[in-house]
Amino acid sequence: MSIAEKMASNQKQIAISEFFEKNKHFLGFDTLNRAIITAVKEAVDNSLDACEEARILPDITIEIQRVPKSKDQLILIAMDNGPGIPQKSIENVFGKLLYGSRFHAIRQSRGQQGIGITGVVMYSQLTTGKQTYVKSKIASESSAVEVNLGIDTRKNKAVKYSQERVIWTEGDQIVEHGLFIRTQMKAKFQRGSQSIVQYLKMTSIVNPHANITFRYINSDGELEIENNWKRATNNLPTPVKAIKPHPHGIHLGQLQRMLKDSDERKLTSFLRQNFSGVSSRAAKEVCTKANLSDGAKPKLLKTEQVNSLLDACSEVKFLPPPTNCLSPIEDLLIKKGLSKTIDSKFVTTLTRNPCVASGNPYQIEVGLIFGGSMPSDQQVQLLRFANRVPLMYQQGGCLLTQSISSIDWRQYGLEQSGGKGVPKGPATILVHLASTNVQFTSEAKEAVASNDNVMQEIRKALLELGRNLRRHMKKKKKMAKAQEKFDLINDILPAIAEKASSLLGKPVPELSSTISKIMNAVIMEQNTYWDKDTKTVRVAGILYNYTSRPRSYTILMNWPEKQGAVMIDNDRGGRKETIGLWAWKIETLQPGERANIEFGLDNLEKGDWTETEVFYRGSAEVIGASKLDEKILEEMKNQNSDEVLETMEVITEDIDETISNVASRAMLNESNNDEIQKESFQTTLFEKEGDE
Amino acid sequence: MSRRREEGETKAALHQVVEEMYTKLEKGETPTMTLPVRTKLNIDFDKKLGVYKYGKKRSTRDASSLGSAKNLLRALHMVEFIDEMIDNGKSSTLREMYYISEGWGHGKFSTQNESNNLAEDLEIITTSMREDFKLRPEEDGSRIIGNLTINELNRRGEWMKINARDDVGDSGYGVPYNVEREKIELLDHDVDFLMAIETGGMFDRLIENGFDEEYRCGLVHLKGQPARSTRRILKRMNEEWNLPVVVFADGDPWSFRIFGSIAYGAIKTAHISEYLATPSATYLGVTADDIVAYDLPSDDLTSKDIEALKSELSDPRFADGYWQEQINTMLKLGKKAEQQSLAKYGLDFVTDTYLPEKLAELGLA
Repeated sequence: MSIAEKMASNQKQIAISEFFEKNKHFLGFDTLNRAIITAVKEAVDNSLDACEEARILPDITIEIQRVPKSKDQLILIAMDNGPGIPQKSIENVFGKLLYGSRFHAIRQSRGQQGIGITGVVMYSQLTTGKQTYVKSKIASESSAVEVNLGIDTRKNKAVKYSQERVIWTEGDQIVEHGLFIRTQMKAKFQRGSQSIVQYLKMTSIVNPHANITFRYINSDGELEIENNWKRATNNLPTPVKAIKPHPHGIHLGQLQRMLKDSDERKLTSFLRQNFSGVSSRAAKEVCTKANLSDGAKPKLLKTEQVNSLLDACSEVKFLPPPTNCLSPIEDLLIKKGLSKTIDSKFVTTLTRNPCVASGNPYQIEVGLIFGGSMPSDQQVQLLRFANRVPLMYQQGGCLLTQSISSIDWRQYGLEQSGGKGVPKGPATILVHLASTNVQFTSEAKEAVASNDNVMQEIRKALLELGRNLRRHMKKKKKMAKAQEKFDLINDILPAIAEKASSLLGKPVPELSSTISKIMNAVIMEQNTYWDKDTKTVRVAGILYNYTSRPRSYTILMNWPEKQGAVMIDNDRGGRKETIGLWAWKIETLQPGERANIEFGLDNLEKGDWTETEVFYRGSAEVIGASKLDEKILEEMKNQNSDEVLETMEVITEDIDETISNVASRAMLNESNNDEIQKESFQTTLFEKEGDE
Repeated sequence: MSRRREEGETKAALHQVVEEMYTKLEKGETPTMTLPVRTKLNIDFDKKLGVYKYGKKRSTRDASSLGSAKNLLRALHMVEFIDEMIDNGKSSTLREMYYISEGWGHGKFSTQNESNNLAEDLEIITTSMREDFKLRPEEDGSRIIGNLTINELNRRGEWMKINARDDVGDSGYGVPYNVEREKIELLDHDVDFLMAIETGGMFDRLIENGFDEEYRCGLVHLKGQPARSTRRILKRMNEEWNLPVVVFADGDPWSFRIFGSIAYGAIKTAHISEYLATPSATYLGVTADDIVAYDLPSDDLTSKDIEALKSELSDPRFADGYWQEQINTMLKLGKKAEQQSLAKYGLDFVTDTYLPEKLAELGLA
């Protein structure tokens, strides 16, 4: 069976088309602007989910056309390179509400219910009377299938108007697999913060493995907008496993249905077979607490008995559910995604460990970017995501927003009146909630419902970002001070000398001694930037000795060695101190002298490496660098050699942590927090799990 | 009595500032500029002159921070600019200099306040006046009405005789920015005293009511905190014509300061107090006592007012018993009143009742 067929076979159905015809506002079709966004969203979510399941790197194209000489009519074309849909499943996928492989499975997925694309077909039919055109090609068949579809909303059934088999080519290439949808609807195309472009931009941030193209064609048939968000990584998200429900997360109806469907003879084995986290001891305990016999036949339980079973479940302790059903984006990919779409100076991201709330595994990821061209007098932009889906409406009523608002951001350098609410400043804050069961406030699925556990978890993550931001600002402030001194000695002092001399008609005096007196410090200036021309990261540092005595140091810098970066153009040479840490010995610097350290980093992409940490060995303080903690370095070296012996694969997080550990402890004991900032590439992790 | 300097002297004094910086640089040290501390902590009463002058405290501005280094560079540019004006017989306004500084590179002023302050710094350091530097203020002096006759050198270089009662309209005689002898001669008068008035409204009220003629006085409009030329001309008329000066202002902490600057010298211009201050000037009102005695409509003191009064308590210029009492009374009262609140009793009350009563206390009516 092909993957597409396998996916289709899982589908079960529920018939409530009529209900949805009357409640289209629940589905996000309540305004003309929102209708097209919802339609795009359903199409994109489906494509991403399908590609992820079929392990295909998604190429998605969305095109909107204004229908000429019409009032508020748009054509939506959505095309992907996903697995396609087998001919026999097309009617079900597009014609039935709540039809989808995902409705009964417990795992993280984008659209948790199958109302998605069917709603689009229905809305199209309701507002324009037109059919939706679908073209699908699966890899195991040689030709594609073309269908025109409508929906009989009373029978919850698709009506096929034509069906043909065709050869699908794009350009001069035959399409191997993919899906093409063309539908017409009453809708309005808008720009701004609630627009298709914003939605796709946000989608690309949390789906860095996707290549997304958008085109808008106006009523004159001209291409007016064209965007392309390129793929930032070739690593597909970790495949998620479906898990059995956890007894703490089960509801009465679900439990009843499961009991009814069960062929188990004994209640204990039913519990153990159908739930996660239930040991035989726990299964027995549940039965005892529920006052039911171990051997009761599941199929025959009465409603009261089911009720007491449910109560018993809430009283008994179980093992937590497995968390491999979650697919976080991972720090680095969020960082990449953010850097690629928003121009900024500072990015910090964090992926927390998975947690469980009411039997549902969930995981929090956050990101914060600061500076650059973002406006400083406006509210911070919030990017909310649930299971990699952007949330664009109902910002105020969303748990993710409330978590951000509950933090006093003033202590971390953002403006916020009264220490509450959405802060102001040149920043964007991202929150991603990944869970097998995201609770929304309504069917529109635009705002996450309140939950104390999740909120605390988000707050913890955000506070850590806050601390990173504060550290960054402190460093910036320190460098600004040093920069002032540079301006002073490079520009102002020579001007004073020159003007004073010319007024008095005397020779310009030698300034080096005055400069040393004013600066009286050794200063490290360092800059990390992306060089567009060579497509490499450049790191440039200058060490100045502005003291009255000769000085010598060893300067060390961290670099992303393990992430596959290649150090180039390192003319000063130096030597490797340990993995990811390079050292240069700077021979005696006379008063007033300087030393340059420059190198490039190849094999990286823009946004991969934006800040370089500088350390020094030597007696006198260096402004702009941190003193190296030899003890931690030693630990780090030991750790490295152990792991090198084991396998070459697992060297990721720990060593990075140790490096940042050295950094954070050396940061003049700025903060006492024990939590360690990790900024690791987890690519090896991805590959490992991908092979399973 | 003018202590105006010869042009050569001014240049030499300014070059001392440059010398100080250059010498330091030559020695490999950080260039500096030394000047008196310009706060109330450093003003002392000069018994001989009867005014407050800067004391001995000196502060050193050195080039070790970006801000003060820029200030030093600006001072150098300003010295050069003044040198050129002296050599070419030109003059400029402070505002013009501010715009000229656009071409001074890193020495450019970022606000006009900076350029005004630096001009004052240079005056203080070199014990010159800004007129010596060929710099004039933007604002002019104020208006005078009364039977006073003045000779003013006009634009055509001719002396013009002006009587500030007969030769002027309702707005009075406008005081030019330069009131030194080369520009203004005090010829003759037929009044008994001079009254300096804070607000334009009250000044016009007294004119409309013919107060100047009835009570034989010269009226001088202060326009709030008086400009240098206003204080200077009051001082000259007081000294050369031997006329008493009374000050009629609002009853609030800021009016006390206006009086302080007229009688004892302003903190900002303490280096030239002896040219600007009129030590014999008397405060007529509105006093804190008047608010109660005349039951004047009043406002509550704001937190800024209270802060100002408290600061005045420790100001050496207000150290005598009378002022300590006035300030404490106002603090206790928690109220302040405007001059024009006297209108509560009608438009003529101020000229028919209030001023005659107050002047009688001083023996002037």
